[in-house]
Amino acid sequence: MISWFREVDRVLRGDATRPEALAGGQIDVRGRRLLVVNMLLGVVTGVCMGVFALFNRDVPEYRQPLAAAIKVPALFFLTLVVTFPSLYVFNALVGSRLMAITLGRLMMAALGITMAVLASFGPIVAFFSVTTSSYPFMLLMNVVVFALAGILGMNFLNRTTNRLISLLQPEVIPAPPSDQSITIGPMGLPQPPVLRTQVRDPNGQVRSVFAVWIMVFGLVGAQMSWVLRPFLGQPDTPFTWFRPRSSNFFEAVLNTFRALFGS
Amino acid sequence: MMALTPPLNDLLHGRTPSRTAGGEMLAWAGWLIVCGCLYGSVMGSFGGVTGERLWQVVYSAVKVPMLLGITFLLTLPSFFVLNTILGLRDDFPQVWQALLRTQSVSAILLATFTPYTIVWYLTSGNYTEAILFNAVMFGAASISAQILLWRAYRPLVARSPRHRILLRGWIAVYAFVGVQMGWVLRPFIGDLNEPTRFFREGAWGNAYVMVGQMIIEVVGDWLW
Repeated sequence: MISWFREVDRVLRGDATRPEALAGGQIDVRGRRLLVVNMLLGVVTGVCMGVFALFNRDVPEYRQPLAAAIKVPALFFLTLVVTFPSLYVFNALVGSRLMAITLGRLMMAALGITMAVLASFGPIVAFFSVTTSSYPFMLLMNVVVFALAGILGMNFLNRTTNRLISLLQPEVIPAPPSDQSITIGPMGLPQPPVLRTQVRDPNGQVRSVFAVWIMVFGLVGAQMSWVLRPFLGQPDTPFTWFRPRSSNFFEAVLNTFRALFGS
Repeated sequence: MMALTPPLNDLLHGRTPSRTAGGEMLAWAGWLIVCGCLYGSVMGSFGGVTGERLWQVVYSAVKVPMLLGITFLLTLPSFFVLNTILGLRDDFPQVWQALLRTQSVSAILLATFTPYTIVWYLTSGNYTEAILFNAVMFGAASISAQILLWRAYRPLVARSPRHRILLRGWIAVYAFVGVQMGWVLRPFIGDLNEPTRFFREGAWGNAYVMVGQMIIEVVGDWLW
């Protein structure tokens, strides 16, 4: 099991995504192991968040940490499931040579960064969850931690795709020879006509597909967190696995800011 | 006790400690606990050292090392991961040792301030003044310890400027957690009008929300 965590460690240290390791357009990580470890880190994060419900109610709600431990991994994997197919198709449409398996590993590695940051902030979040009775404060604090983790993961994704894309050879399309004259080489032998090549560089387009996708992933993730709520559980309402649909993530964050100081 | 002194002397005089890292760090942790307890016990002696008030001395002696130590431990994992992501993992042994030394030096400085605190308590019986005095002592100790921290970081920053950004981030997170830790562990001094308890009854809550509410009340009074 320790060797599984070493897989995440390699990603964190950047060993798995050094230019030498990426040669050949492949990422040298084990996707399945990363998937399992990411889930575990998500469970740790969820428990640290859900602890809030154990201390700020008249009767501790033990189901809330359990629910959050399931929901945090679900949040990331559902967001990935929603956004991955379109990423792959657009990526292929603009002529990128990244294969689906490489893309999948890339995503697991980026999620590894995000989940590791989230889990490493777990102790601080748990400490505040235990000692704070203010629901809006905890909500905003978790939003900040998630945003930081998300930004670091996306930054990694951005850097690694740039490296991968520039390593893959630009697509070369042979152009028809412009003149049919035969050149005579040394020793009087006719040389084959030189094929003038025309280089179509899809890299710029692939980069913009990724840039757009990163934004879409962030937006879908934010809204997914809204669909899966509650993670913390409002202290004065009874436990529910999910809440009815209403409003959206961004409106709710604004409202929470207003509620923080009870004005 | 004598075994603990060599690393301290080396450090205060700017020499590189000669011992193995593990033993040296244990010695620093020992300094943190001993000196924290010393300052804490003096801090808690505000209401006297007899009868029920003796408990406040004991509680505060436990709480000061807790404040420094637990805050340090809580902030360490995220700092480790962030260092790793920014490619500074190989320097991390040096980094955490510098951070732990800083904690211990804060405690040692606090311990050297104990005579001032005793004199203050002997001359003033005002609770609010005692709180402010101790706040100044803690502030002075942690700011002075930071000088040492930045000194330890100088070779690291020379190697990679990212260390500077990370250290600033760590100080911010440490202060953020430390303020809340201090708030939760109250009372350190012990109001004379209240019974002696380890945790103040109903005092858990969030330091930042409290301060925010106070500011809004004050600003609200000005505006309306």
